[in-house]
Amino acid sequence: MRQELLYRTRLKAPVNVTWEVTGQCNLHCRHCLSADITGPPEGDLGFDECRALLDALKQMEVFQVNFGGGEPFMREDFLDLLRCAHERGITTCVSTNGTLLTDAVVRKLREMDLLYLQVSLDGATAHTNDLMRGPGTHGRVLEAVKLLHRHRMAHVSINTVVTKANFHEIGSLYALGKGLGTKTRFSRFRPSGNGKKAWDELRLDGPQLAELSRFLSGHPDIVTGDSFFSITAFDRRDLGLNMCGAARMTCAVLPDGCVYPCAFLHDGRFLAGNARTGSLQAIWDSAPVFELLRNTRVDACASCRRFSLCHGGCPAVAYFLTEALDRPDPECVASFRTAPQKACAAGRVHQSQ
Amino acid sequence: MDNSSYHVHPLVRGRNESFGLLFYNTRDTLLTFVRCGDLLRIGPAAGGICTVEVHCRKEAERARVRRALRGLAQKGLIVETGASV
Repeated sequence: MRQELLYRTRLKAPVNVTWEVTGQCNLHCRHCLSADITGPPEGDLGFDECRALLDALKQMEVFQVNFGGGEPFMREDFLDLLRCAHERGITTCVSTNGTLLTDAVVRKLREMDLLYLQVSLDGATAHTNDLMRGPGTHGRVLEAVKLLHRHRMAHVSINTVVTKANFHEIGSLYALGKGLGTKTRFSRFRPSGNGKKAWDELRLDGPQLAELSRFLSGHPDIVTGDSFFSITAFDRRDLGLNMCGAARMTCAVLPDGCVYPCAFLHDGRFLAGNARTGSLQAIWDSAPVFELLRNTRVDACASCRRFSLCHGGCPAVAYFLTEALDRPDPECVASFRTAPQKACAAGRVHQSQ
Repeated sequence: MDNSSYHVHPLVRGRNESFGLLFYNTRDTLLTFVRCGDLLRIGPAAGGICTVEVHCRKEAERARVRRALRGLAQKGLIVETGASV
């Protein structure tokens, strides 16, 4: 029902907004999805502008802001920004690399009931993670997660972008999260930022996608909160992509206030407006590119039995690979399920105990 | 039950949409879509509390609304506050 309602109805405002609050980052990850926007802070929205945007989000009744970057904790005023959001009743979900989470910072975060934290970790072993995120990051991230656990932070997850480089460790990553007392979140690798350059090298192949699908089916407590695999355990009985929420449930704001349908469509063609100079509500209501996304129909998928759930999958991946929005998501799991024996043999997953 | 009134749970956010109501639970970030048209509306916040207003015209609508309210209360999204006027 949810997908059908979203497909047919326009919400009066986003449910959540992804807000890349800064382009600054202290890491240089090989697969960084936001590498296109990293850079010096001169163009970033100032604190007063951020507060004004939070006022607008409250006025629009947006429920949740997903803060990212860059590394959001590179902003000296980031804790104040979080407080501002919470004072307005807005839940925040922060995607961080974890390396700036000191004891003093975590003590302040602990006071925030409306905060969810996702700490990036791209390998169960230092070898695998550090190849992607840089030398020494595996140990620093684990220390940060242990620190969060010691402070009894309620909503912490380890977030892994699943790639060919760490696919063999997804079972170990799940076990690691369990051991650290956090949720495990798997995110989809997308051709955005550095992901464009590393796409052919790091993307999962068909058998791996099918194997991952089966793994998620057996581990319903793993979170996959984007248009990756189905969100709910129920949906996972019939695995496949979920419906894209761009311009329907969500939109993205970049450090300079530019607004896009989602965090993975930064191409100039998809610029919807700027929250620094215009009204986010007006952009949501009438930006032509948002209308384009809402009216896109992936007719080639219309006869599929899962069409009512996914409506064609992720247009950002389809656009990158086919230069069209109205093409089926090239990573649709359904297309790999016709040869399960072959898939299983080619992409077996080992789970550590 | 007919005379019960409800408000949105303090840890839940709700808003009016063209199809009905949309709830967001801050405890787990999950959404709940309630396809009820304008039979149910969330009133403006007063003292931090948002009431759920019932706008039924027919008996069949009342039965439907009662079921919806009961389900939402069981999910912890709304809280019964007592008899309405």
